[in-house]
Amino acid sequence: MNPIEIKNVYKTYTRKRFLSFGKREETPVLQDVSLCLKENHVLGLVGESGCGKTTLSKIILGLEKASSGQVIVDGKEISKLTKPAFKKLRRLMQVIFQDPYSSLDPRMNVGQIIGEPLDIHGLYKDKLSRRKILEELVKSVGLSPEHLTRYPHEFSGGQRQRIAIARALALDPKVLIADEPVSALDVSVQAQILNLLKEIKQKRRLSMLFVSHDFAVARFLCDEIAVMYKGRIMEYAPAEELFSNPQHPYTEALFSAVPVPDPVRQKKREAVSLTARPGMENHPCPFAPRCAYVCEACHTAPLLAQVRPGHFCACAALPFKNKKSSFAV
Amino acid sequence: MNSSSALLDVQNLRVSFSTEEGTVQVLKGLSYSLPKGKVLAVVGESGSGKTVHALSLLRLLPPTADIEEGHVLFEGKDLVSLPERQLRKLRGARISMIFQDPMSSLNPVLTVGEQLKETILAHRKISKLRAKAAAIRLLKKVGISDAARRYDQYPFQFSGGMCQRVMIAMALALKPQVLIADEPTTALDVTIQAQILRLIKNLQQQTGMSAVFITHNLALVADVADEVLVLYGGLCMEKASVQAIFKNPLHPYTQGLLNSLVSINKKEDLLPAIAGNPPVPGKECPGCPFAPRCQRAEKRCFQTRPPLFGKREHQAACWLLEEKA
Repeated sequence: MNPIEIKNVYKTYTRKRFLSFGKREETPVLQDVSLCLKENHVLGLVGESGCGKTTLSKIILGLEKASSGQVIVDGKEISKLTKPAFKKLRRLMQVIFQDPYSSLDPRMNVGQIIGEPLDIHGLYKDKLSRRKILEELVKSVGLSPEHLTRYPHEFSGGQRQRIAIARALALDPKVLIADEPVSALDVSVQAQILNLLKEIKQKRRLSMLFVSHDFAVARFLCDEIAVMYKGRIMEYAPAEELFSNPQHPYTEALFSAVPVPDPVRQKKREAVSLTARPGMENHPCPFAPRCAYVCEACHTAPLLAQVRPGHFCACAALPFKNKKSSFAV
Repeated sequence: MNSSSALLDVQNLRVSFSTEEGTVQVLKGLSYSLPKGKVLAVVGESGSGKTVHALSLLRLLPPTADIEEGHVLFEGKDLVSLPERQLRKLRGARISMIFQDPMSSLNPVLTVGEQLKETILAHRKISKLRAKAAAIRLLKKVGISDAARRYDQYPFQFSGGMCQRVMIAMALALKPQVLIADEPTTALDVTIQAQILRLIKNLQQQTGMSAVFITHNLALVADVADEVLVLYGGLCMEKASVQAIFKNPLHPYTQGLLNSLVSINKKEDLLPAIAGNPPVPGKECPGCPFAPRCQRAEKRCFQTRPPLFGKREHQAACWLLEEKA
């Protein structure tokens, strides 16, 4: 059984505009998203800001409700669960947020922060066993037991993210949802946290939904990657397949924009232009205004179709796209 | 580099902050010179003093900070001791700055055009009409389509990348000789980041100005910089041309930084991370600030601070290089 399955999820935010006489303005943020997180796999959600990747992870965590579609966690559809049943299920999925400076309560010490989930779910017999669990947890993320009595402000960014990871692991979850867990960290510390996440995934046989805007980081950690754009999945493939055979023009453009730390090679590379052309806002394909390959085939909304084994891509122009121009990394 | 070709010459800059726990030195004697028409990248992690260094060049530091020592020479004038009124004439006009977060650097209650015009009128004695025309030209130059209409819009109607373009337009409005860009792309998406970097680089080459590009991301440096200065714990660790930094990094910290970059070109099993955490300002070790995290650190690394070793073109502050020098 797959830990998480998402089927045809839509999400629309509505808001009333001032003096609009009851008319509502609708903003679609997720459109027909279907994904599957396999056991002990890492699924990467990659896209620019505003593409809906965080909204999707919030829906899975039950922090937002999908407008339609199914979210199935551990075989159960979450919209049909009662509150107590969802609370039980929620134990299985824990989350790590982007900014370790704002995601830890400054007035709680580390022991309280990591122990809070244990308290909520009542997962220990007595104070001694609670203490024991906490010590195990801090050790597993590379901190030491004496850190338990300290407060978040005494720690650096990387150490804080370790605390956040320990808190997420406290309930022994099956699924970790990591929303940009390293993008607020320094480069030298980022590598430590990425190694830690990989180690935890292997040791605990976890599945992970890894939300990121950084392809290099995604390649290091992910088994499958879904590329999102304006609330839709544009390309969905096993990670290595995606990097050796990117199909969608958007994926190519994203690859070309990633800076390469080598002055000789970087100066030779050319970034694919992603400047939006005006007047194409209502095009059926959301990427069309920025796409270099728009042609007559693009007059209908592109559907996610299998283009190679296990490799899905939503681009109507794909058969007409010049293969030579593809930008593999 | 001899000082005659240098546009900006920073000599032994020391900056400290007074805090509840006493004075904390954030910059501990930084020296470099910025040649004409070149881009110098200052690379450092949070707390390394890179932003403090940028702010101290134009004396924009908060009141708790104090430039203890050092000189910033620009066209024969020392910006550290220059009277405020004269310095104000230089700020924005001869030396301008772009900040990290474009959304919060613009005034939300003034239109974008108004803010651009204001910059121009503060330094030039021209009519408002001509200033407006100049502002629209600038918006076009930084790649904003439909500039005349955009002129009357407010910052919230612009995306992050567009706001940064406006900031760049503002910084370039008076054709400065030096542009200081403090993490100009950190708040932006990768695709937008690539566009903004290209824009800065193109404008820099067109106008022949010099730039100090401050970043925490070594990968970006490869694209824009001619020379690189690696900052750690308020000290210069290594100084070299961009090719030399990537091909032959001398300092263990630079080597570690380069190794810990995640590559998009291959899948790795484990990243060679630098162990430990960046130093907290004021609590560094008396020797080399990197010593506690350095695998090759010896006893003297913890006790005495290493000077810069090596030739002028490529210098690094590490005791390991002493024998070679």
